Amino acid sequence: MSLEQDRWTGVGLDRQVQAASSNPVILDGQALALWRGEDGPVRVWEDRCPHRGMRLSFGFVRGDTLRCIYHGWAYRTDGQCVEIPAHPDLAPPKTICANSYPAESRYGIVWTNLSGAGSAALPDFGADEGWEPVRSIYVDRPASVVREALHSFDFGDVSEVRMNGGSAALVRVRSGLEILFAVQPVSDGKTALHAVAKGQGVAGRRADLARRLERLRATIERA
Amino acid sequence: MTIKLYDYSLSGSCYKVRLLLHFLDLHYEKQQIDFYPGRQHKSLDFLQINPLGQIPALEDDGLQLRDAQAILCHLANKYDGSGRWLPRDERHFGAVMMWVMFAGGELMSASAARLHDALGYKLDINAARASAHAAFRILDDHMTLREIEGAKWIVGDHPTIADIACFPYVALSGDGGIGHEDYPALRNWMRNFRRLPRFHAMSGVPEYV
Repeated sequence: MSLEQDRWTGVGLDRQVQAASSNPVILDGQALALWRGEDGPVRVWEDRCPHRGMRLSFGFVRGDTLRCIYHGWAYRTDGQCVEIPAHPDLAPPKTICANSYPAESRYGIVWTNLSGAGSAALPDFGADEGWEPVRSIYVDRPASVVREALHSFDFGDVSEVRMNGGSAALVRVRSGLEILFAVQPVSDGKTALHAVAKGQGVAGRRADLARRLERLRATIERA
Repeated sequence: MTIKLYDYSLSGSCYKVRLLLHFLDLHYEKQQIDFYPGRQHKSLDFLQINPLGQIPALEDDGLQLRDAQAILCHLANKYDGSGRWLPRDERHFGAVMMWVMFAGGELMSASAARLHDALGYKLDINAARASAHAAFRILDDHMTLREIEGAKWIVGDHPTIADIACFPYVALSGDGGIGHEDYPALRNWMRNFRRLPRFHAMSGVPEYV
């Protein structure tokens, strides 16, 4: 049984998770591996090989399996271990399974829910189309401070800041631009923001917006 | 013509030089220096090769060089006929040198943290890690903007000695207690680098990509 809240949290930008890659993420102090096969969606697993506890974010992808860097044990997308290189003739028992969490991609953000219950709804800010990734940015401040800053930072002529629980914020600028932030508490003192944007000509403004977020980070950390 | 590298296999700075020698397919002689625990880089004999008592050092056709960054510049200047590893055109040369200097400067805090954790060097580990994170953030911000431009490398559309100079101590930073969790663009850049033809790993840098 998990003590985690039944809540979806953004943990990365979908487009930034390369094909055939495994990546370390810390959510609320829990180590996760975000990985993608040679194609297909991003998976979110506990960052721990069931064999010897090695971090699976150090692993490598072959086809649609994630392999542990330590002894090469291969895990299928459902977590099931399908190959143990030291015992090539052995069919791995069903009990050898990596611990996986629900993962959904919406608005270009990869969301996960550590409670495993998965009854909470994904943050809903309308249709999934039209969102362009901006960037992920890591701020050395607690999530409460970062959320507060989203209300006061100068993104231009802000008309509305709408929170969705504590895990997402939508900033509307009068020019028609919308910036969606997924708020990921990393640890007590660190927070990640995963930002995507929507609006006319937004694809050509990604670099400007990314630099704006550098200023946001500096503003929060200097306060 | 003989190239001789004074080398230590666990040194990220020596690894920079080995990477370029390998990318350029140059034959060279390696002399292993007992950096730890022998401290051979501080021996009287080695101080005559490099009075700073640091590795790597390189001898090439009578020329004696120290400093990994200077050695990268020399090798690319002399042996890379394509000019791609050290572009000379005005749009790229200065930017490449800027990041090469960054690799030999700010990024070396990650090396210091690794020397503390792996070899027991006495230094302020919290300060070293904080400086390394500050440097990683600067490179990650840069590589984030590069990703947005659709580019893969630190400068230009081909890997340069800036990528080679920056790669080892970013890749090896876990040995100094500095994780890659906060740097998605650096992770992608490192993976692209490890997928280069003729890339080779060292202890602490995964061979499998």
